[in-house]
Amino acid sequence: MTDLAEPNKRARFVPGQPDMWVFVLFETLVFAAYFSFYLFYRAGSPELFLHSQAQLDLRIGVFNTLILLLSSWSVARCVQSSRAGAYQAALRDVFITASFAAVFLVFKVFEWVRLVRTGNGLDSSEFFSYYFFLTGIHFIHLLIGFIVLGVVVYQLRSPARRSQELVETCATYWHTVDFLWVLIFALLYVVR
Amino acid sequence: MTPTASPATPPSGPLHHRIAWHLRHNPKRELWLAWWTLVVFYNLFFPVFFLITRVQPPPQPAADLATQVQWFHDRHLGLLVGFAIIFLVAGMVPVNNALIAYSMRRMSVSPVFAYSYLIMYSLSAIPGLLLLCIALTVGALRPERDPRLIGWIYDFAFLSYTGTMGVFLIGSLVWMLAILLDKNRVFPKWFGYLNLCNGLTEVVVSPCWIFRRGVLAWNGQIAWWLDVVVFGIYTVVFIVLLRRMIQREDFGTGPLPDLAPKQKGKRSEIEAAA
Repeated sequence: MTDLAEPNKRARFVPGQPDMWVFVLFETLVFAAYFSFYLFYRAGSPELFLHSQAQLDLRIGVFNTLILLLSSWSVARCVQSSRAGAYQAALRDVFITASFAAVFLVFKVFEWVRLVRTGNGLDSSEFFSYYFFLTGIHFIHLLIGFIVLGVVVYQLRSPARRSQELVETCATYWHTVDFLWVLIFALLYVVR
Repeated sequence: MTPTASPATPPSGPLHHRIAWHLRHNPKRELWLAWWTLVVFYNLFFPVFFLITRVQPPPQPAADLATQVQWFHDRHLGLLVGFAIIFLVAGMVPVNNALIAYSMRRMSVSPVFAYSYLIMYSLSAIPGLLLLCIALTVGALRPERDPRLIGWIYDFAFLSYTGTMGVFLIGSLVWMLAILLDKNRVFPKWFGYLNLCNGLTEVVVSPCWIFRRGVLAWNGQIAWWLDVVVFGIYTVVFIVLLRRMIQREDFGTGPLPDLAPKQKGKRSEIEAAA
């Protein structure tokens, strides 16, 4: 009995597969390294970074951050609905999450185009190298997020599947992408 | 579902007797041969690149022609000896890939995963390993050539090597997908997610085609140093997990049995005997 109870206890320790938390921790470490390099080089030439940072539109950054936070909220609602067995509501929440993510991506591309048009490309300055690199790698994480949301839809659609563990695992991925964006936003747009 | 391997116990006695027994009777001898090949390859790979040829960490992409020619001159003997070793052991790469493909064949997923991985990684070895070795050996063997040609070889070698790390990305994702879909518990799911982490750092190398200085250049802190750390962790993890897979292998088609209960059993037996 003890042997059976122990894994259940462990499984409930974190939402979803505990394995996904390896990804969360590893990616957090990798991004922490990116941020450390950014801060190190920023400390080397603060004026250049401040000048380049001023070219960013803080309003778009704030808007995108709010959009992603809302997407995290809707994916959390999806988990709650799925737990309660309200699968239609959970499906609706996944589509809302995907819509928020699409809005984020459109605004991100719009911001990139605007910056490139004003002469701030990938290799125009050290700050913009970091800017395009960090937002680009985050963009790829978000694109993978669409596949992850697809997995949630696949799980929720059929009564034969509906693995709550997988839904929570996918939601954990989504929150990670959101959490990484909040850090990127703070570093690139806010920290002066 | 039924294990087909008969439980065979290696005899006790002198080491050479035990080795001979394993060579003749151990049903996992091919798997262990492949695994040891993997271990030997990586034990040669890292010292050759870091110590003998001193090709890694990579030199400055923005170095002038005179520095590039001098770079070849300083490493002349190391390049020839080191890459001779790599050319000798390059045949181990398909064996390594075959073992990884075997792990996917043992999973409950379609064989397409194993075969596509095998093809992709075997082809990736050309830009990801051999082109660098061939180009730098040519540079070392033709020091009298026009410095501009030497400079071209220098760029070609490092861009073919570092700049094409993305070719490994799809293979990493194939392995990831197979692990996540697998129901035979060949690998823990977290290793599937670690494949994604490794794949994502392979993407990060691509800007080295544009940058000649800074963290995203081919010798940069992000494009090279961080990626090597991630790749090093990933390599150690998959070598250990492949070893565990071989230990757990029962040659059946169902879920791989765990090792832990056996060890617990042994421990309790020992404790009981004590």
